[in-house]
Amino acid sequence: MKKHKKNRNVAIVGIGQTHHSSHREDVNQPEMIHEAVELALKDAGIGIEDVDALVHGNMELFEMVHQPDLWHVIGTGGYGKACYRVTTGGTTGATIVGVGDNIVASGLHDIVMIIGFEKQQEGHTTGGITNMADPLWARNLQTGALTGATAEKTINEFGADRAKRAAMRLRVTLDKHASLNPHAHRNFGLDYDQIDDLMVNSPQLVGELRLIHMCSQSDGAVAIILACEEKAKKISKKPVWIRDHVTVHREETFNMFGINENQEVTHHNAARKLFGRNGITNPREYFDVFEMYDPSSWWGLDWLREFLQLEGDEHLKMVENDEVSINGSFPLNPSGGVISTNPIGATAALRVAEAALQVRGDAGAHQIPREVKHALASGFGGTFWTVLFMLEKDLDWQEAE
Amino acid sequence: MTEENKHCYIKEGKLALPYQYFAGRIGSKFLVSLRDKKKILGVKCEKCGKVFIPPRKTCERCFEDISEKWVELSNEGEVTNFTVVRTDDKHHPRKAPYVLAMIKLGGADTPIAHILDGVDPDSVKIGMKVKAVFADKAVNTMLQIDRFEPVK
Amino acid sequence: MAKYFDVSVEDIFNTMEARFRVEGAKGVNAVLAYDISGDGGGKWLVEVRDDSVKVAKTDDLSGFSVKTSADAETFVGVNIGKIDGTQAFMSGKIKIEGDMALVAASAKMFTRYSLPKKSAVTVQGIFDTLVARFQPQNAAGLDISVGYDITGDGGGQWTAVLKDGKCALETGLRDNCAVVNSVKAKDYIDLILGKLDPMVAMGSGRLKLKGDMNVAMQLPKIFAKFEPPKEEEEQELIVIKRNISVDMKYSTGPVMGKFFEGLIEKKILANKCPKCGRMQVPPREVCAECRCWAGDMIEVGPSGTITLIEIIYYSSPDPLTGETRETPYAQVHILLDGIGKEETFWHLLKNEDLADTKKGDRVRPVWSDNRVGSVHDIIHFERIRD
Ligand SMILES: [Zn+2]
Repeated sequence: MKKHKKNRNVAIVGIGQTHHSSHREDVNQPEMIHEAVELALKDAGIGIEDVDALVHGNMELFEMVHQPDLWHVIGTGGYGKACYRVTTGGTTGATIVGVGDNIVASGLHDIVMIIGFEKQQEGHTTGGITNMADPLWARNLQTGALTGATAEKTINEFGADRAKRAAMRLRVTLDKHASLNPHAHRNFGLDYDQIDDLMVNSPQLVGELRLIHMCSQSDGAVAIILACEEKAKKISKKPVWIRDHVTVHREETFNMFGINENQEVTHHNAARKLFGRNGITNPREYFDVFEMYDPSSWWGLDWLREFLQLEGDEHLKMVENDEVSINGSFPLNPSGGVISTNPIGATAALRVAEAALQVRGDAGAHQIPREVKHALASGFGGTFWTVLFMLEKDLDWQEAE
Repeated sequence: MTEENKHCYIKEGKLALPYQYFAGRIGSKFLVSLRDKKKILGVKCEKCGKVFIPPRKTCERCFEDISEKWVELSNEGEVTNFTVVRTDDKHHPRKAPYVLAMIKLGGADTPIAHILDGVDPDSVKIGMKVKAVFADKAVNTMLQIDRFEPVK
Repeated sequence: MAKYFDVSVEDIFNTMEARFRVEGAKGVNAVLAYDISGDGGGKWLVEVRDDSVKVAKTDDLSGFSVKTSADAETFVGVNIGKIDGTQAFMSGKIKIEGDMALVAASAKMFTRYSLPKKSAVTVQGIFDTLVARFQPQNAAGLDISVGYDITGDGGGQWTAVLKDGKCALETGLRDNCAVVNSVKAKDYIDLILGKLDPMVAMGSGRLKLKGDMNVAMQLPKIFAKFEPPKEEEEQELIVIKRNISVDMKYSTGPVMGKFFEGLIEKKILANKCPKCGRMQVPPREVCAECRCWAGDMIEVGPSGTITLIEIIYYSSPDPLTGETRETPYAQVHILLDGIGKEETFWHLLKNEDLADTKKGDRVRPVWSDNRVGSVHDIIHFERIRD
């Protein structure tokens, strides 16, 4: 089996997340972060003095405060430590885990805590995203992260009824998953018999992208502690190994809307690279769970195809046949996904955290009902920017060389 | 003008967005006390003994939860440092010139930055005794203390 | 009348005129219709005309500006804050037809329905703690019964039997009471809470004592003071609301600068990658795929073919003002004539064309008379209908 060589092996040894909600008037930003930091330290069984470095991230235009890493020190525990501040849009949560992975693997630091957060109730999410666009042109046209383009593309390809039904079925499935996750922000108690109703009656945002398809706007934070192999084995009984991660970036794609059929999107590119250099030929077979960054049900549906390198209508079938449900053959977002919980700067890190909990067997009510050895987690943001992680239960892939 | 920058222009723009900030339980208790009781509260870290203002959940050095360790501070204190703001900006709280001072209140270990009024900017001195003057209306920010003035 | 969380649907509508806020309804001219299903439901029309409101139960909901449909429990729950409105709306338990913005606006037009405040202390609650408050050391040698005749709403009759240093409570009044206290329930609660002075109560006849006055005088010692259950005082949580508005300046650079010069002359300029040949509009200094300088400017369009229409129902704030734009409106991605196949041009569609324009239709720019070199030099694109 092929392997991607890392300087040192890196494991996740501690995970902490807040409850996610749109009502966190009871805490300010550093206090909310501190909740996640304390839980992660407790989970790892170490103190803040054991942590060598912090990687802190969110999207600052969402709260309209700047240099939050500085004034969050009272919540992060960063006094006197090496701190890195990373902000890469919606991808932030994944990029901070990636930075953590890199600085531990490189030998620079042994134990690193990554912290992602967002308090979206404090800002205007759609306005914030709009203001990130090019001020001379796109800023005057953009509508945040809302677009009906993928809906239109899917409808053109598979017909309106089948496409709308599949997107809504995925929405209901993930709502059912969210109902099992006590940390999830939104859970509506949806059922499959509501599909016909919601397809028509859920209010439209842009084109066929409806309110029910779109992710929530949450307040919440997550902290993940990473350690080098030597320390990880001492700290944790169940270290989860970050086997590899890949980041793929590209020029913005607004200028290809409606004509992008032949463009390789970053998700496809990232998955191709990651699977290729690790010798994964059949990802659907190999991975036991996938925590995908799914900002809307239309994207979640379409991206299943891109990540898994599927042809034709395979991705629709996976949803139609309930393969993606928690009891199915390829569980997608047992946590409920981004669509239920979306504190943006934390969101992509939550994908890694939730995938790691699945590998540990510690996900609780939303633990998938069979052993999880190999997990996939993705981050997405900006105008196409993908980070993709593969996590392993056992440190055994290198021996196969 | 060179050939290269002949086509370069400056376009005026704006970045306008609504936002809000949640003070949280600890911050709210502090602000409500300023507003309703005209009393300044701090929190004390029992490990290192420091009294912090504004209050916060943790001591940044000891990383202890100190959110319940309230202490009442004096409304008077002394100037530990200061500067005179001599430029005007729409985001500034006063017209220039005005004094921005670091003030350590009685009972506190950390100074706060605030406006020092009622004194000629050129006669402010480090060590000067000052007292808080509270705003009449609800402000719900640090400007609930409207300004500091010298103790006569 | 069916009640949910102690409130009926009628309660909500009957108090609506009283809850109307003139300052929140300035300039509003709308008819809000409500179709509430289930037990205690019905149909109501709420007519808001600037500074007045009329609420009427009806059978005919026609002519509404916006209609809200929900089951009675959900409707009451949302109105009194027991059910999350967004959650109910998203999950389909509340349906809204017509001008959605009015629903959000109605939160400003009416103050929230508040439950009539109930006293947390009840007569029953006071007697429930009586035995526990008994102080045997102050009742040594007593062998008596004390009667309580509490009249009015929430009242009742009780007898405290004191014997051998113990206290037993019975309901009803024994005949052999040493003393009987007669008082209205409300006054009794006030006496116990110390809000009503016993002497004043007796003097004014609101508290009547029948029997042995000496026993009556000892009662405050025999029973410890009643401590009302502590109400969790809700802490005021401060939320600061602001609008940030920062003046900014942006440099066009020579490439975007030439593009803007073109717009002033009603020309759309693209630039071409010398390596892969793709065109970019608006032009970018480099081709990000070939990583090379793309300097040549070529005039394209101005007409083109739509590749995607995005109809916006939920709009973001205008970055210049922070104000929310009116919806619906449409954005179009256009393949301009002469551009090749790799690059669409992003702009707005004329509102009048919104209803019948589709992918593949031909459009042309409508130029502003006041062109300064900005995205707004083109007002929008309009459909070519020849
Ligand atoms: Zn301390």
